[in-house]
Amino acid sequence: MNNFFKLIIQFFLKWCAKIYLWQIKPHIIVVAGTTGRHWIKEAAAEALKEKNFPVRTNRKNFNAEIGLPLSILDLPSGEGSFRRWLNVLYRAAGMVFRPNAPILKQFLVLEMAVDRPEGINYLLSIVKPNTLILTTVTMIYAENFENLDEIALEYKKLIKALRWNGLAILNFDDQRIKSLAAFSDKRVISCGFSGEADFQVKNIKKVSDGQEIKLQIYPSNQIRLIKTHRFGKHHVYAILVKEIIKESFQISAPDFFKQIRTEP
Amino acid sequence: MFFRTKNIKLSPIKQMELLASKIPDVVSLAQGIPSFDTPEIIKKAALKALNRGVVAKYSLTYGLPELRETIEQKLAEDGMHYDFEKEIIVTAGSIEAITATLLTVIQPPEAKSHRVKNEVILFSPSYASYPEAIKAAGGRPVFANLIEENNWQIDFKNLIKKINSRTAAIIICNPNNPTGAIFPKDDLLKIAEAAWKKKIFIICDEVYKDFVYDSTAMGAPDVQKLKFFSLAQIPELRKIIIRVFSLSKVYAMTGWRIGFLHSDEENVSEIVKIHDSLVTCAPVISQYAAIGALDFADKEVGTFRTKYQERRDLICRHLDDLPNVFSYQKPSGSYFVFPKILKLKNSLRFALNLLERTRVAVVPGIAFGPSGEGHIRMSFGRSEKDINEAMKRIKDYFVSVDGSKGKASNL
Repeated sequence: MNNFFKLIIQFFLKWCAKIYLWQIKPHIIVVAGTTGRHWIKEAAAEALKEKNFPVRTNRKNFNAEIGLPLSILDLPSGEGSFRRWLNVLYRAAGMVFRPNAPILKQFLVLEMAVDRPEGINYLLSIVKPNTLILTTVTMIYAENFENLDEIALEYKKLIKALRWNGLAILNFDDQRIKSLAAFSDKRVISCGFSGEADFQVKNIKKVSDGQEIKLQIYPSNQIRLIKTHRFGKHHVYAILVKEIIKESFQISAPDFFKQIRTEP
Repeated sequence: MFFRTKNIKLSPIKQMELLASKIPDVVSLAQGIPSFDTPEIIKKAALKALNRGVVAKYSLTYGLPELRETIEQKLAEDGMHYDFEKEIIVTAGSIEAITATLLTVIQPPEAKSHRVKNEVILFSPSYASYPEAIKAAGGRPVFANLIEENNWQIDFKNLIKKINSRTAAIIICNPNNPTGAIFPKDDLLKIAEAAWKKKIFIICDEVYKDFVYDSTAMGAPDVQKLKFFSLAQIPELRKIIIRVFSLSKVYAMTGWRIGFLHSDEENVSEIVKIHDSLVTCAPVISQYAAIGALDFADKEVGTFRTKYQERRDLICRHLDDLPNVFSYQKPSGSYFVFPKILKLKNSLRFALNLLERTRVAVVPGIAFGPSGEGHIRMSFGRSEKDINEAMKRIKDYFVSVDGSKGKASNL
């Protein structure tokens, strides 16, 4: 695929995705950060499904300039084939311009990946988050950045872009993510092992078939014991996010979508 | 002078390839190399990384975190849950993973530990490089028989007899190379039970798990249940299971030298020390290619599987035309068939004569252990053209010397 054709695809998909979002007005949860996005995204979707909310997530790693609009439109990639891309564009147009299209009330849980300075601006020109989950800032995909602080600046733009009733879920074990809380005038829920986190891990026990986690929720001081069949610290963060999402979306799906449709 | 290497032989597979390379117009069904090139989407991922300027430096010893995250996701799709940070190592192919594992788990007498654990049980026949890797790690290979009449399944009586206090590990190649047989879930669990009681590691080499053609072979007559079973799916066994996998066969990437192993953190934290001293890290450009493979090449794997199944049926049809020369068990997985040479025992002589007289290279069965004697391994990973040409030459030869059906004794 040559660069010119790529630009056309990118431009066309961007506008189709924007119109589509304007039509269906979903609740958008964006998962960003340099590691652990996949499992956090899955955990957020699981939490919503458990509450019977309709939910859709990114396909595979469709999380950048072309992948993100494809995820929004729920379309596959044309990969290296000119013909397949034409078909994708045709289907994208069909989704946007069909008359009497059904309005899908749903959550979209989307990963966003940024691999260069200002990269987030383009993604934000397509979609703005209602809920934002930030994982970590590490050296992965950092070759285009001067330093880790420059990556954190990209995530700061995401916090700033939150909608009026937005929610930021921040990993307080990562100092750069934690420092972004100061830039949010929206609701922030923190999580992690940190003593300052709202959803705080008190203890982890590795057992033969997974991990047992004891977490405490502040300010209610509520204690929860949760077991996961997966291994590794990143799954502990996924559990924290799942609990936060469950806690934050308490009302029924019809009431919730009625509410967001009337928002300014 | 060379104490460690004096009993180690260059793999007979490579020896046959070497001999074959000197003969003009040879057709080789010897080495297990896919006939396909690496899929474009994988090459693009490697090129993209190359152009981004991220492949010139070492990665972390465990491998690129983004690749290990992808591996964790891929394993989870198959019901295996391992922590990408501490329980997965990206290796230079599966043989490096196996060698690093053997060097970790074998305790030779000279180690002066309180308990010598230097015996590694492997099935006969199984992959020719295992015994040499075991010897290189200071261990002693011990063969347990597979029963040909029972479609190359495990002889449990024989296996149990071989387990003793010196047993460090059991290697299971599933689907098996060279027989193409698949060990059913119940048999694998029986091995696991025996290993658990005696605190023996099980090294699961599953590089052909994506090339499985018959559901019944896995004890799953219902097509819906067609899922390859791995002992690594049982979390309670994770402390004794070390699973190795390679991208070489499944994604046609033999030259990229890329694979991985996974196990409980307790084992992996030890194996990584050996991995570090052997290779520092797997080739970084190959690691980026592997991300592309695991993320985007499922469709190509499906195409390969269909092609190999067609080629398996093709080579079996050719073998059916030589009922007085070979008998065989139809392989359920991998891309090898392991026919028995009728009326002749010496597989090395047979393979050498076949090479000399028909210019067709195969691997003598003795390379895969004592039970492999009297057989040859033929790879149907090669193209249809190569398979047809090789089998035509073999048929022509036997027909020319002994009438329509031929006899193996003519070689």
